[in-house]
Amino acid sequence: MPNIEKKSFDALVVGGGIAGVESAINIANNGLKVLLVEKDLTIGGKMIMLSKVFPTLDCSACITTPKISEVDRHPNVTIMTNTEVLHIDKQDKHYFKAQIKEKARYVDVSNCTGCQLCEDACPVVVPDQYQYGMVGRKAAYIPFNIASPRVASIDIENCSLCGACEKACPTQCIDFTQEDKEYEIVVKSVVIATGFNLFDPLKIPRYSYGSAKNVITSMEMERHLAPTRPYNHVLRPGDGKMPDNIAYVLCTGSRDMTVGNPICSQICCMYSIKQAQLLMGALPMADVTIYYINIRSFGKGFEEFYEQAKGMGINFVKGKIGQIDELENGDLKVRYEDINQGKLVESKHDLVVLSVGAMANEDPKTMFKADTWKQDEFAFAQQKDLFYTPSLSSIDGVFLAGTTSGPMDIPDTILSSGAASMEAIRYIKQAKVEI
Amino acid sequence: MAKVDLKFGKKLKKFGAIDFNACYNCGTCTAVCALSDEKDSFPREMVRFSVTGLSEDVKGSLKPWLCYYCGECTTYCPQEAKPGELMMSLRRYATSRYDWTGLSGLLYKNLLAYIISFLLVIAGVIGAYLSDTFTTEEWFHYGHYFEMLAIVGVFLLILTPNIFRMWLYSVQSKKKGFKLKHYFSAFGELLVHMFTQKRTLKCDDDAKNKIWWFEHFILVFGYLALLFTTVVLDWFATEVPFIIYMGYVFSGIIFIVTFDFVIRRIRKRSEKSTFSHPSDWFFVIWLFLMGVSAFAVRLLVDTGLILDNFWVYLFHVIILVQWALIIVPFGKWTHFLYRSFAMYFDKVNKLNAA
Repeated sequence: MPNIEKKSFDALVVGGGIAGVESAINIANNGLKVLLVEKDLTIGGKMIMLSKVFPTLDCSACITTPKISEVDRHPNVTIMTNTEVLHIDKQDKHYFKAQIKEKARYVDVSNCTGCQLCEDACPVVVPDQYQYGMVGRKAAYIPFNIASPRVASIDIENCSLCGACEKACPTQCIDFTQEDKEYEIVVKSVVIATGFNLFDPLKIPRYSYGSAKNVITSMEMERHLAPTRPYNHVLRPGDGKMPDNIAYVLCTGSRDMTVGNPICSQICCMYSIKQAQLLMGALPMADVTIYYINIRSFGKGFEEFYEQAKGMGINFVKGKIGQIDELENGDLKVRYEDINQGKLVESKHDLVVLSVGAMANEDPKTMFKADTWKQDEFAFAQQKDLFYTPSLSSIDGVFLAGTTSGPMDIPDTILSSGAASMEAIRYIKQAKVEI
Repeated sequence: MAKVDLKFGKKLKKFGAIDFNACYNCGTCTAVCALSDEKDSFPREMVRFSVTGLSEDVKGSLKPWLCYYCGECTTYCPQEAKPGELMMSLRRYATSRYDWTGLSGLLYKNLLAYIISFLLVIAGVIGAYLSDTFTTEEWFHYGHYFEMLAIVGVFLLILTPNIFRMWLYSVQSKKKGFKLKHYFSAFGELLVHMFTQKRTLKCDDDAKNKIWWFEHFILVFGYLALLFTTVVLDWFATEVPFIIYMGYVFSGIIFIVTFDFVIRRIRKRSEKSTFSHPSDWFFVIWLFLMGVSAFAVRLLVDTGLILDNFWVYLFHVIILVQWALIIVPFGKWTHFLYRSFAMYFDKVNKLNAA
């Protein structure tokens, strides 16, 4: 990472997903200096992992990477990955002090060429978190091919310290003496773009996720369908069989008070319909059934997208799945009430996809002084005013981009980031006048 | 055309229903219900009927009785609409519709009416005692006859017509024509479910549920046995040691088990004991008091202290009369009959349909 000699910026953007990247570009394009901090090894967030986007069916990676590339090369943007924000303290009206910690990567990033020779040399194999454990990766690794920065990193927890990577590296950039570094920086405004977490389906044991091999989450299905997918095909994880009867369980962890999340996640209906359409392409002989409570296709072009899915022969069944049981051959028995018939039905599928909801990421709460950062009742960021100032947080000078303030889809995230960065620019310019 | 009747929902709240309007119609309750099957799918349908006010459909349905309140629907309902408690209140509602006298409905909906009727019984018994119409000897004697008379009377005048009405609503109105052989071949259902309550065991295989079933099973057995011992074998007056001993055991079973049932409701130990309607309290507490007071009376008889402690006998009589004239015909006691007849009628309906 570039040494931050210059420790003062106009804006600190927390989170390098699509919301953070979009906000950083907007602010930087106005001639202001931005520090973009990402806790993961690469920027790109969840969007870069997706297969395609609804309702246009554009390749997600293909529309994310130009933005990533733009922010990466932007002269006004400094990016720090593998870095956590510890505290952000408001000093006075237009002035924040932030404590950030850059975690040791054990690779000298400025010299790494991304040649992957260390990966070849490393003898340790662990499940690849970027492919949701479907394949393995080495302990010395580049997260994925379109990662940014596309440089190696040592997973020190799993590393056997054999030194093979050190010997293999042609630029001698592997450095086991690296330590975590803390910096104190000064900024005029903050944009929070920490995004959301996916619902953990282990919280619903009735759905057998984790115990039944062929019950997967929608994010795992995204990886099966993405151009950079691990198997180059859609295969069910239990035995590698090509599935031909796939079920989607909508509202897994959304609109469900028993798991503490009574609200709609806004994205699951549409991403499930999108995946179903992609599956019709990937597996032309497969039956796809979507079990839903209500289909919420409220955005521009969404209803048409839903109608298109029905036209393609995707089976929509009104009724929430109550129970999923694994059968001996790995198939799954799902139990539900067909609401339109008023009858309890048990049906069999060979792959079940849980359309998991969006939960609040509570990271920002720990960054600010107690009681200054306000959350709504679902732990998303409290907006100062939902209607007039949706991108203002409870702290003056801290702005909200994307799903920090609530579940939303990608088009809405881009809009929200636009609003947040505009508010930030206004705030910074005002500060320049006042100081 | 069916009309939406919002008043019905308000009415059901008086029968103990809560929050069912929160239902968003997802069917999770039906899907997690271990007793639901393709032919009899509930409770969502019943929630729908309740929300839209289809009271006639509720009246004619046996599904409230096919539910044994495992509680999983309430546990997993994503809207916390408590479908299990709705089913419970629909059983109370159905009871009130079967009852030709209308008194069940009055008592279920109105706690004050319940209390007044109980006070009237107390006044009646104490009044009869103070009027010196009967000698102590006669009190024992007539207490026994009263019991016999009450059983026969309540059965002939109240319960039999009510079961007939239940049949009319849930079987006869569904299917024209009458096939006697279906009634014969399904008759086993009635006896099996009346005396074993084995459907409870289908709930799920968790140990708590099995313990509940066992306690309930021996309670039913103890209750019927005590009834037989007191009414037919004249327990309070008998000299046969074996009968005396049996009576102690059966009344003991009743008050020990019902004590535990009261504790369950106080501690809200499972979904089914979380919400308690006044009629639930009266049922378990009166059964407990009956067991205790019967035990005490016989103990006093055996120790020769009964004449000095005659109030104990009077207390027992009060409990007994309240039980026989209020709780049995119009209260929760009727579930003993309706549950087993519902299983019977459901089987008949299925045979009729086949």
